[in-house]
Amino acid sequence: MAEYSVVGKSIPRIDALEKVTGKAQYASDFTLPGMLYGKVVRSPYAHARILNIDTSKAEKLPGVKAVVTNKDIPPIRTGMYLGDMYALPVDDVVRYMGEAVALVAADTPDIAEEAVDLVEVDYEELPAVYDVEEAFSTNPPVIIHPNLAEYEVIAPIIVRRLVPGRPNVPQHFLIRHGDVEKGFKEADVIVENRYSTTPISHCTPETHVSVAWIEGDGTLVVRTATQGIHMIKGALCDVFQLPPTKVEVQSPYTGCGFGSRTWFTTEPLAAILTMKAGGRPVQVKFTREEMFIAGVHRTPVTTYVKDGVKRDGTIVARELTILVEQGAYSNISFMIVKNGCFGAVGTYRIPNFKLDSYGVYTNNPLTGAFRGFGSSELIWALENQIDIIAEKIGMDPVELRMKNFLREGEKDVCGQTTHSIGAEECLKKVAEWIEWDKKPVEEPEVWKRGKGIASGNKYTLAGSEAVCEVKVYPDGFFEIRHGTDEMGQGHNTILAQIAAEEFGVSVEHIKVVQGDTSVCPYDWGSLSSRSCFHAGNALINACKDAKRQMFELASARLGRPADQLETTDGKIRIKGVGGKEMPISELFSGWGKLYASLKGEIIGIGTHHTPIILEDPETGKSDRMVTYYIQGAYAVEVAVNVETGEVKVIKSGACFDMGQPINPKLCEQQMDGGAAMGIGSSLCEEIVLDKGRVVNPSFADYKIPTAAEMPTNENFTSMIAGVPHSEGPYGAKGLGEAVVTPYAPAVSNAVYNAVGVRIKDLPISREKVLKALKEKK
Amino acid sequence: MKQLLKLKVNGDDHEVYVDPRRSLAEVLRNDLGLTGTKESCLSGYCGACTVLIDGKAVKSCLIFACQAQGKDILTIEGLAKDGQLHPLQQAFIDHFAIQCGFCTSGMILSAKALLDENPDPSEEEVRNGLIGNICRCTGYRKIVEAVLAAATDKTQAYH
Repeated sequence: MAEYSVVGKSIPRIDALEKVTGKAQYASDFTLPGMLYGKVVRSPYAHARILNIDTSKAEKLPGVKAVVTNKDIPPIRTGMYLGDMYALPVDDVVRYMGEAVALVAADTPDIAEEAVDLVEVDYEELPAVYDVEEAFSTNPPVIIHPNLAEYEVIAPIIVRRLVPGRPNVPQHFLIRHGDVEKGFKEADVIVENRYSTTPISHCTPETHVSVAWIEGDGTLVVRTATQGIHMIKGALCDVFQLPPTKVEVQSPYTGCGFGSRTWFTTEPLAAILTMKAGGRPVQVKFTREEMFIAGVHRTPVTTYVKDGVKRDGTIVARELTILVEQGAYSNISFMIVKNGCFGAVGTYRIPNFKLDSYGVYTNNPLTGAFRGFGSSELIWALENQIDIIAEKIGMDPVELRMKNFLREGEKDVCGQTTHSIGAEECLKKVAEWIEWDKKPVEEPEVWKRGKGIASGNKYTLAGSEAVCEVKVYPDGFFEIRHGTDEMGQGHNTILAQIAAEEFGVSVEHIKVVQGDTSVCPYDWGSLSSRSCFHAGNALINACKDAKRQMFELASARLGRPADQLETTDGKIRIKGVGGKEMPISELFSGWGKLYASLKGEIIGIGTHHTPIILEDPETGKSDRMVTYYIQGAYAVEVAVNVETGEVKVIKSGACFDMGQPINPKLCEQQMDGGAAMGIGSSLCEEIVLDKGRVVNPSFADYKIPTAAEMPTNENFTSMIAGVPHSEGPYGAKGLGEAVVTPYAPAVSNAVYNAVGVRIKDLPISREKVLKALKEKK
Repeated sequence: MKQLLKLKVNGDDHEVYVDPRRSLAEVLRNDLGLTGTKESCLSGYCGACTVLIDGKAVKSCLIFACQAQGKDILTIEGLAKDGQLHPLQQAFIDHFAIQCGFCTSGMILSAKALLDENPDPSEEEVRNGLIGNICRCTGYRKIVEAVLAAATDKTQAYH
């Protein structure tokens, strides 16, 4: 790794002070005088026709200032990728339990809740389908979207494919590489299995919340917890048919995202209410229960995999059929049908590969992006599978993976050229850390120990854009403006580090402005682990632009052309030893030296865009569907209680290739947190559904790990094995999601190693382990 | 029917006129503008609303504001004194124990209550002591490190 002054150093987070003092502002902290409180009337049925809505009683309740039904909103179908939904059901059909049917706004939350109960809705209950395989079938009991063929694809980065005869399938993605039938004939061993994952909840500490109001000049402003201020602005403009000059979106610090806020959550609801309430500010804040019911869940994915392998460990053929449950509307999970498949593409060499991935509607709550975007769910299947193969052919699981990893420069099954792949080093490091070759310490009686490893990846999509601006102030102070969202990853810190490196100053000299579309330039959003790379590159370009302008201004004074100048520590100097130099302030005059002479201001603007090349619909191949892959591995040691089925993770080691780490401690932060999410999603997290109803919508019944459930610090590590990416800012890629994708199969493999049972349907609950142990006897 | 409440928060006396059904968390945030105390689950599981009442960690979403009358309430805003951070606050910064920051206020106050009662805890005692504070970002490792480091920081008298 190259050595830099600020980049690559573990600088303390620049937002840490305001967060430890309680000063950091979040959307849920925001109030305005006269603010109203909005609440949502929700459908008690999973599938029903709305016959009538009577709001008269609610409207008469003192303190109620607005009541909105589907009659009040423009009949514009919307959606993140497929236009299959309305903000409120304009077509008079509700398709999942908890779907928003009407909205109320009142002076206090209590009055709003009372008003919700006073809205009378007459429903005609319709038959519903909850099972994904039933819904997927060619003769499903219910067709959830009879007008599916009419729906428009909204984003240009999608190739849409319907499946004749499967009316609940809004999208089908395929990959065809080589000839799997030929491959299976060449194989010595065939392994076929079915795996599945359950829906889980992001459990973001900050619930979904927006405050919307209309300014005196008619501008709609929405202050929200989101992952994409410009995405939300664009979507609001579309849905409400407003020009971009009349909508602004603000997002201060956000209490986590993990993919829960990758599109509309509360924003259109608050916007509709403020419009109905004459522009008065309206807050719509989801309760924790609403987060479990009406926030999106991680896509439950059913994976059928058939692998053909030679005795020497070469994987020769792989066939995958994947069902990605969308829930009642496709939302962002429409994209997961395709992009979720990249988890099967970016790490291993497979000469014959056939994949069919189907999105499937059900009358269950919405599913969507969840840290990994389908990769965790698919890698759950594949990394269990490869351990099964290893046992069948008598090969060590680490060795088997190493043998089949892609190498730099090789083409993967989608035709992308592999670049920056640290899979081997990551696996090697975790295997060493866990002392892979040593059996775990034997415990007496009921606890049995086992070790497991798994490799995983997460791509960052191609087709997104970032813009950054940097303003030069006198003597080494700079202001950067970016459009991506800070929800804990530390974007502000790493972008400050990049700017500090570019200008040769410390991060204390960098001011970071974010979270407001009226001042921040466009960014695609904090999704797909893309911000460090895209905003980072855009920022470097902006810094170069600013330096070019500075040097052009300084050129006459220093008597050298601009390209012979450089800057550090607030000075501009001639490159090389002992040249003339001048402080940047000499370029400024006016009040407080805030006027850059002759130019006005020195503002650099830079952008970065990785163009996407849409896939060949016959093969699913393209030269550029992803920007890069982040690679990594986990090694875990578990203890399984053979009397209760309880599984504890005793040791947990991570190693990831994020390219050049901009801030190593921040990279560790991601791995530390990813392991916790991995433990939760492997062992105990589960949205329990009963005929479309979320049975456990609270932390009483939906368990996520506390400090007491994690391994001790001595038994926990997060390691870095970055392989610089030639296109990354200082060689950096990203990290935020990859840190979850290999976790659950590492645990599963460890449980098998401990007690010889393999659970193929997440989570690996006590009941399942106990049942499997009894069946084994 | 609203009623007058007298609350002592971070050493300051306040009078607020509120519905007696309001929780302490709501009154701190909405009536006193002390938004450092967060609301997340509103049912006492996640600990984001943790404040100290007479030195004890309390989930402020679970008690009525009127129950806190006559007591000393400490929120995150009252922890630093005369511009000097509490050792826990400094340790959280130094040990990278913060990501999104939403659990941070509650976590620091729970840790303070723990250390005030047990100034030299083991790692296990710290982990069990923080069992009422959920964090979704950090995996807790650096939080535990920070608490243990603050426990050994004798540069400031514990307050």
